[in-house]
Amino acid sequence: MSSTEQGTSSAAPAEPTTAPESAAAPEVPESFYYVHGKDKVVHKVSAGALQHSALIHGMISNLGYTEEQAKANPFPFENIDGDILQMVVDWCNQHKGKPTPPEDTNLPKQKEKLFDLVLAVNYLEIKELLTYCCKQVAMMVKGKSPEEIREIWMIPTDAEDEAAEKEAKKRAGKEAAGETAAAAGDAK
Amino acid sequence: MPIRLLSLPEKDLQYTLNCMDIGDLIAFSLCSKRTKNLAKFSNRRIGPIVADVYQNYICLEIRPTEVRRVQDDPDPLFMYLDFSNPQIKLDRKKGIEAWRKEGFAHHDWIAHFLSIFKGSLIDQLGINDVCSISHLDIVKRIIPKFRKLKIMELCSTELTKMTFLKLAPIAEEVEIANKPFGNDISQLLSYNLKALTFSDWRTPLELNNVIITEKELNRFLKLWMKSNHRFYRPKYIKLYLPLIDDINQEELFKGIKYRDMDYQYRLTRADGKELLITISWSSVDFMVL
Repeated sequence: MSSTEQGTSSAAPAEPTTAPESAAAPEVPESFYYVHGKDKVVHKVSAGALQHSALIHGMISNLGYTEEQAKANPFPFENIDGDILQMVVDWCNQHKGKPTPPEDTNLPKQKEKLFDLVLAVNYLEIKELLTYCCKQVAMMVKGKSPEEIREIWMIPTDAEDEAAEKEAKKRAGKEAAGETAAAAGDAK
Repeated sequence: MPIRLLSLPEKDLQYTLNCMDIGDLIAFSLCSKRTKNLAKFSNRRIGPIVADVYQNYICLEIRPTEVRRVQDDPDPLFMYLDFSNPQIKLDRKKGIEAWRKEGFAHHDWIAHFLSIFKGSLIDQLGINDVCSISHLDIVKRIIPKFRKLKIMELCSTELTKMTFLKLAPIAEEVEIANKPFGNDISQLLSYNLKALTFSDWRTPLELNNVIITEKELNRFLKLWMKSNHRFYRPKYIKLYLPLIDDINQEELFKGIKYRDMDYQYRLTRADGKELLITISWSSVDFMVL
């Protein structure tokens, strides 16, 4: 139950629209924070939902923002695509204040997004969601042969790995030589 | 849509591998050297690997350790190594699959499984009655080391004898479920085995026309006291003797120092080893402590 709108991390975002609260809303007014991803779309998320993220929870605890300050300074996650952040926010809202079940059927089914989702969730330190995502990744190769797994997970062959390693060594050698030459130039 | 799994952060990658079942993890480990190492470092625990030899193939059984003997327990994985083909076949409930790996011979499959599950040896090698004697050397090449050799009940006398001769020297323990050597087991005792078990319950090993009296037992004990290892190698011997009630204790321990511990007697040898003798209504047990 998140809301989104266009905004930037530097300027105060316009008032986001919120979805109706459920009947079991807490009596004490809940505080809200704002996050945005690469697309600058601001998501309004309750503190309760954000508790899933150890990273954001730590940021909130350290900052001690008021709601106004939080609104004026959304947490920027420039390394996370907007649609991926939306998925994460949705999941956090759906599981707000609830014990996480052993299996999560609400997890996005789009495999193409799964990889980015794992990276985002890992960055935001959402342990339970990361568990589900990794399970989903594992399920992609359930009952598959080594050749099929190689294809699905884009695993390089030994020859490709060796070639990449040689290339990396060559590059590192060149860089080291360049640094030595630069240092010699500086000394002169 | 493929994803580049190996670009995931290490922790996520390992967690993903931990979510895979054993069959999928083995398939993953066969993709490249790098995936083999990743599978290995996932520290997946499995039960002891059991191998059974049939007419022209070896069946490997790999069990997950999380077996709790309940309905939801993961099934063991059965893999088949055909003597005539270096591929491996497996049944993952979607028909029989055949996997090949370039440069892999039969023994490489075994070495690969032991490597990724950090095992040192196959736990048990079972020889079934349909196994051909001519395949025993091949079996030895494929599985050069295992803990226990089990020769099954229906194996012929010839197969049992040949199996014992060829494979017992590379085993730590042997269990024989039939009686290929009749009651003459002396040639079986010459191998350096940790344990030798005869489990033919239908026709137990018998010493016929042998009269074992206190005098023979006394001689046995005196030989043990002299540290004669060749004479008494087993850790435990149980003799079923009729009419043992009236065993003459004085004659049994004549000339031997012992400690009486209420139907149990303890002998201590010069090298410090101790032998515990338990006398019950129908048997005498000798156990090296």
